[in-house]
Amino acid sequence: MGVGRAEVEKALSKPSPFGLDVDVLKYVVEEPSVEELKALELEEPVRSASTRLGFNGVKPSYVQVDQTALYKLLERRLRGYGVIVAPLRTALEKMDYAKRIAWRLVDPRSDKYTALAYLRGGELGYFIYVPPNVKVDVPIYTCLVLRLERRAQLAHNIVYVDEGSEAHVITGCAVPHGVRDGLHVGISEFHVSRGARLTFSMIHAWSQGVHVRPRTAVYVEEGGEYVGYYITYNPVQSIQAYPVVRLQARARAYSASVVVGLGSGDYDVGTKVILEGPGASGEIVSRTLGLEESRVTARAEIVGKARDSRGHIECLGLLVSEKSSIAAYPLIRSEDPGSTLSHEAAIGRISREELEYLMSRGFEEDEAKSIIVRGFMKVDVPGLPEVVRRHVDSIVGTISKLAVG
Amino acid sequence: MLSLESVSVCVDGRFIVRDVSLSVGSGELHVIMGPNGAGKSTLLAAIMGLSHAKVCGGRILFNGVDITHLPSYERAKLGISLAHQVTPAFRGVRFLEVAKAVATRFNSDWRALASLLMIENLLSRDLFSGFSGGERKRAELYLALLQDPKVALLDEPDSGVDIDTLRVLARLIDYTVFVRGTSAILVTHSGFILERLSRVTRAHIMVGGTVVYSGDPALVIPVILKYGYMRGLEVLRGGGG
Repeated sequence: MGVGRAEVEKALSKPSPFGLDVDVLKYVVEEPSVEELKALELEEPVRSASTRLGFNGVKPSYVQVDQTALYKLLERRLRGYGVIVAPLRTALEKMDYAKRIAWRLVDPRSDKYTALAYLRGGELGYFIYVPPNVKVDVPIYTCLVLRLERRAQLAHNIVYVDEGSEAHVITGCAVPHGVRDGLHVGISEFHVSRGARLTFSMIHAWSQGVHVRPRTAVYVEEGGEYVGYYITYNPVQSIQAYPVVRLQARARAYSASVVVGLGSGDYDVGTKVILEGPGASGEIVSRTLGLEESRVTARAEIVGKARDSRGHIECLGLLVSEKSSIAAYPLIRSEDPGSTLSHEAAIGRISREELEYLMSRGFEEDEAKSIIVRGFMKVDVPGLPEVVRRHVDSIVGTISKLAVG
Repeated sequence: MLSLESVSVCVDGRFIVRDVSLSVGSGELHVIMGPNGAGKSTLLAAIMGLSHAKVCGGRILFNGVDITHLPSYERAKLGISLAHQVTPAFRGVRFLEVAKAVATRFNSDWRALASLLMIENLLSRDLFSGFSGGERKRAELYLALLQDPKVALLDEPDSGVDIDTLRVLARLIDYTVFVRGTSAILVTHSGFILERLSRVTRAHIMVGGTVVYSGDPALVIPVILKYGYMRGLEVLRGGGG
């Protein structure tokens, strides 16, 4: 994108406007490498991380362990659709168009995290291309694992869904049990072409001591649709993410974030949708749970810049622990009289009345709490494929039991 | 099936219900009528075991077992269910999630009953959040019956609902009692639903925390609906009209 390296170097000391400031230079970034992923090759720590993501039995098309990209030659079904999945590093070497779209949606000078990924990441991460007019009904799984202590894992992911196509990408990011210090930065640039549809689910399973800085930007062309689902349900030192989705004429976006705050973690998670074209519509839904001593911030912003555009924000928080805190910042801004925007936000606790009501329906107190927590986290995301829905439901079921002890 | 033996109920240390005795047999539908504040809802709350309504005299037997001090969830598991008059709004919790949890616990079919009560369109919404009066009553009866109860306690199912909803509720209560053989105690102050129920076993009038009159519903209900509680009771006792 024609950015001088010196300018990006300068951004290495530029903090993000949101979230805790992390000293990124104290983490070791290993030399990037790319290897072919063979079946049964995954070592125990990686298998352990996959289990924490609920990825048992899943065959990811791309795995990144620290700074090693392991990619698999595509299984027959994906190949049949003409889908390309490759480490971005490889794609940039071999495919001109990959080069043309890299760093187009995310500016590496945005903050120290984008700068670090740009300068030191070696362009590891996945590149997924879906050719025009195909509906890929098999979800494309990718998995990023941070395995070693005091390391930074830097990933740059690009998904390009060409005109009239449909794809479902599921990315799990995790550490195996026992990792206590680390930094994960994931740059994601998604391009949804005219009339195309992308659902992207991100599942996080980190641990105390790990800082996480996803940087995601999505561009949806005319009549396209983007559905984003994010869930984090393990302790973390800090996570800060504020993906931006830009919608052109009649494009639609739905974004759901489920944040389960645990430990003493600092969670600052949001989504911004910009309605740039006439008839564009966006909805942002967030559910935050404050457990233990966590601090959770839910942000959401919709900017209406075009006529006949619509946007709605719903931020709900459930404060379970008295030592936890939740803040919600829903923001709507209209720059066109023809844009209709609304929001609602509420933070509450599990009320005695709700518990008593459910107990009268045959549930003991803990079971009643669990039903409320489970129901609260279960967002009905339109268009999520059944396999992903089941995956998410099973995670939510596990957490709701843990949440009430 | 369900017997109340001289039951008194206290709320915050005050007697709200005094010395009520009542016996409901299998497949029977009893109606308790009475003005606002008579203690009808408190009596049902005590039978269900809700924490605010403490039994401070007498005992409650269910199939011969003393359940006076059982927690509400145990009573529910035994086969007692309550359609609450007042329901909490569950913010962020979809109706369907609660329905599925209840159906799983009681091994019942959430789809079939949803269709009978015409509440399918409500299932994707947050439970009781922004529901209209009629929607709330249908949803509440739905959850109560989803427990497949042996005894259903129906607290004012007819207050604040339109005629169409009244018809749906009455039809389902009829079906539950006479086809499924569920026993029921239905509490009403308005009596709107009574004309639409095909058969009521016994009618009780409750005033000031006690049952002051019990009798044949064919006799009691028309008199109360015509004259109201005070004058109606005089008519019933005096045998005149």
